[in-house]
Amino acid sequence: MRMSLYVPGHSPLHRIAARWKLGALVLCGVGVFLTTSVLVLGPAAALAVVLLVSVRAPVEQLSRQLKGPLVILAVVVAVAALTQSVHSSLVVGLRLVVLLLASLSVTLTTRTSELQGVLEVVLRPLERVGLVNASAIALAVSLALRFIPEVFQQFQDIREAQAARGLRGSPLALVVPLVVRSLKSAEDIAAAIDARCYPPTRSGRAGDSDGGGPTDRHSGKVPG
Amino acid sequence: MSVRNRRPMGTRDIVLIALFGAIIVALGLIPPVNIAIVPVPITLQTLGVMLAGAILGPIRGACACALVVLLTALGLPVLAGGRGGLGVFPGPTGGYLVGWIPGAFVTGFLVKTFAMRVKGRVPQLGAYFVSCVVGGLLVVYALGVPWTSVSTGLSMRKALVGALYFAVGDTLKAVVTAAIAYNVRRSYPIEPR
Repeated sequence: MRMSLYVPGHSPLHRIAARWKLGALVLCGVGVFLTTSVLVLGPAAALAVVLLVSVRAPVEQLSRQLKGPLVILAVVVAVAALTQSVHSSLVVGLRLVVLLLASLSVTLTTRTSELQGVLEVVLRPLERVGLVNASAIALAVSLALRFIPEVFQQFQDIREAQAARGLRGSPLALVVPLVVRSLKSAEDIAAAIDARCYPPTRSGRAGDSDGGGPTDRHSGKVPG
Repeated sequence: MSVRNRRPMGTRDIVLIALFGAIIVALGLIPPVNIAIVPVPITLQTLGVMLAGAILGPIRGACACALVVLLTALGLPVLAGGRGGLGVFPGPTGGYLVGWIPGAFVTGFLVKTFAMRVKGRVPQLGAYFVSCVVGGLLVVYALGVPWTSVSTGLSMRKALVGALYFAVGDTLKAVVTAAIAYNVRRSYPIEPR
């Protein structure tokens, strides 16, 4: 399973620092709700399309990300056109196109580790007042990334075992063992992490989670 | 009791949060099941949200959901159907995603303060169900519906009608979650937080 939506490349968007891209995205998000002029939103939507095309992402990935939202978008625009006016349906449709495509472009061109870096900067003031613990969040993120394939594997093991007992398709027979196994293994994993003195007191960057990540060393396999 | 709850998050809490985050993601990975009575395909992801609150308690449950929201924002395809990225948030369904966090909190809070004190098998199952409906449906929809309305410019009433279409499936999921939470609590109880 490919874990990140990041598409490697050398487009202009790839070269811009993550904090500028995110800042621009926030401004763009506020901006499209401040105007109802099609003359502003139309070119903005065109620009968003150009941005997305400039990323040169595989078509298959684009369609997977856009299929669902575009169906909803079509329904929304149709309902707005029927019940309100054509103008307002255009405004709504263009707004959503701008936001969806612009944020997808940022997602496709920014590494998870870069976004994590921005997140750390954003969290720093909150950490200073003691509201959050950045190293705990980094640990949780990297652990979750490590656990997802593991949990999915366990899920399929349980499904096969239950199917062999004739319990095909019963969510109760699937999820109860999955959760109990997870609760049991949490004890062991926590002990393993504590034994390795993780997270370290400072400089606890989780590193690049696109690849295997440092958690492979720390957490090991989920015992089950 | 309340003094013990004040202790800071330990490694085990972080591991549990990460595990439940992973369970929510994994439940989105499995292909949608068709429950016989309704023709709506149902993904089990929101089941994981209610479950996180019901099993882990309000704080850790909300943290597990916040973790999934964070993974989504970091551009990982963790939502049902392999969706993810920042584009989810301004979209019409963004409010439901963000609503998971208070939804799991309220579910966990109700389970902890109300459902776990009910005696008897059937009344307790019912109390779990009520907790899941209030947290997993009412709270999540309370954020999701206005968000859809703002994002799409539809009136609140129309956004609500759209939401009710999914409410049938979500109610069924609340039934299943109640049964799962009840069974898990009996076979492997952990203290709720």
